[in-house]
Amino acid sequence: MSAYAAEGQVPVIELRHVDKHFGDLHVLKDICLSVQRGEVVVIIGPSGSGKSTLCRTINRMETIDAGEILIDGVPLPEEGKDLAKLRAQIGMVFQSFNLFAHMNILENVTLGPTDVLKRPRKEAREEAMQLLKRVGVESQAHKVPAQLSGGQQQRVAIARSLAMHPKAILFDEPTSALDPEMIGEVLEVMTELAQEGMTMLVVTHEMNFARRVADRVIFMDDGSIVEEGTPEAFFENPQTERARNFLNSIKNH
Amino acid sequence: MRDARTNIRDALYEAPGPRTRRLTAVGTALTLAALVVLIALVIRRFYEAGQLDSKYWALFAKYTTWRYIGKGLVGTVEAALMAGTLTFALGFTYMLLRISRLKAARAVGTALVEFTRGVPTLLFIYFFFLVVPQLGIKLSAFLKITLPVAISASGVVAEVLRSGVNAVPNGQREAAYSLGMRERSVFLKVVFPQAFRIVIPAMISELVIVLKDTTFAYVVSFPDLMQNAKVLISNYDSLLAVYLVVAVIYILINYLLNKASDFMARRRNQVKGAAAV
Repeated sequence: MSAYAAEGQVPVIELRHVDKHFGDLHVLKDICLSVQRGEVVVIIGPSGSGKSTLCRTINRMETIDAGEILIDGVPLPEEGKDLAKLRAQIGMVFQSFNLFAHMNILENVTLGPTDVLKRPRKEAREEAMQLLKRVGVESQAHKVPAQLSGGQQQRVAIARSLAMHPKAILFDEPTSALDPEMIGEVLEVMTELAQEGMTMLVVTHEMNFARRVADRVIFMDDGSIVEEGTPEAFFENPQTERARNFLNSIKNH
Repeated sequence: MRDARTNIRDALYEAPGPRTRRLTAVGTALTLAALVVLIALVIRRFYEAGQLDSKYWALFAKYTTWRYIGKGLVGTVEAALMAGTLTFALGFTYMLLRISRLKAARAVGTALVEFTRGVPTLLFIYFFFLVVPQLGIKLSAFLKITLPVAISASGVVAEVLRSGVNAVPNGQREAAYSLGMRERSVFLKVVFPQAFRIVIPAMISELVIVLKDTTFAYVVSFPDLMQNAKVLISNYDSLLAVYLVVAVIYILINYLLNKASDFMARRRNQVKGAAAV
């Protein structure tokens, strides 16, 4: 971590005036956002607010129409080797896990390091086993994804991201596809990561996680960032009507 | 997990009640009886026509007959394997063309698929048997049968493979790209292996068609099972006996292939089973 200190205040992720349309729908409106090294930023908002799309633009899973995205101060490349290189540095955890269905758990975690980082297979396997141990699924290493519970699969997906030694990890609604009893185990792993200083951008509906773990909460609605602040400030004293309405609507159930 | 067959029946019919069970039992008994009568009639007919006389069947007591059939079988298997491999290579190539980013490549791929799907196998065989030699190109009998059979099946295989590629969930690609993998790696290591698993049953059905198409080998005098059967018939004059035995051999091979396909499909379902958590 200290090696990065010299870079000072250059954010790991920075979005400048990003705009995006899906046909006639204006899904991202003039989004400006930055995430500092070691920061945990949680994006919340009603469904259809554009928070997932925002998250996906950062490693160009979604393209943008206007504006700029910078990773460590460098503009996000639009294609080819440079884009791939950049994606290798930004982890992503998906709502539907997206583990490679034809590979076992261990292979899922070693594919990135061996194919992209060209690390020797043996070394990659050893590190993968450590990562699987860290997320608590090392006993499942030789099973295929379909044999694991959703919670286990998502923890493997986190290990798969970590195996690339990313600068930051994007979490796109990581617990939304999980049965209630499995949400906790995934949030626990994420909380540990946050405590270890991982830079994280998390799109979620888990308000308690946002409250406990976030350094900053961003509230989005209708394609815009409506409000942002510390979790205490946002949850205790929301400044905008829309944020108040949203918080009330989720409090009621 | 229930096996695939029960699932299909469950999808077609609701669980039977007592009356339905009775009707089903009666129906089954009646159809079985009808079947037995029918088979008995056919056998009697053959018997009366003298087709079951031992002179027509005596050839199967000879070792040389079986050796000859065996040789034909080896020819059939060799031709089917060669044609199957070529079909896959060609089909894979057309499929790559059809999913290309370049419009011209896609057009060529589509043209090849439509052409090879639309022309009957026998026409391709005549082309290689009659036209190609006139062009001064000498091909062995083996290639004269395997090339046209492969070309004829390649378009269908291309489309089967493409449907498999389309069936791989997009999240699989996204996950691979998010790791920083390049397009070629994503396709070869993530998308295609899964696509291939999806289409294994369809591919095996296609292999059965290829195997059956190799019976056209008699046109080019390649000694496959069918060609050798014809030779046996002309030597022993026992049409029914030889064709019956040969048909049973073809049925056995294709039955085994289809069993293999079922087995692999079931294994895939087991792997996929819990995926939709």
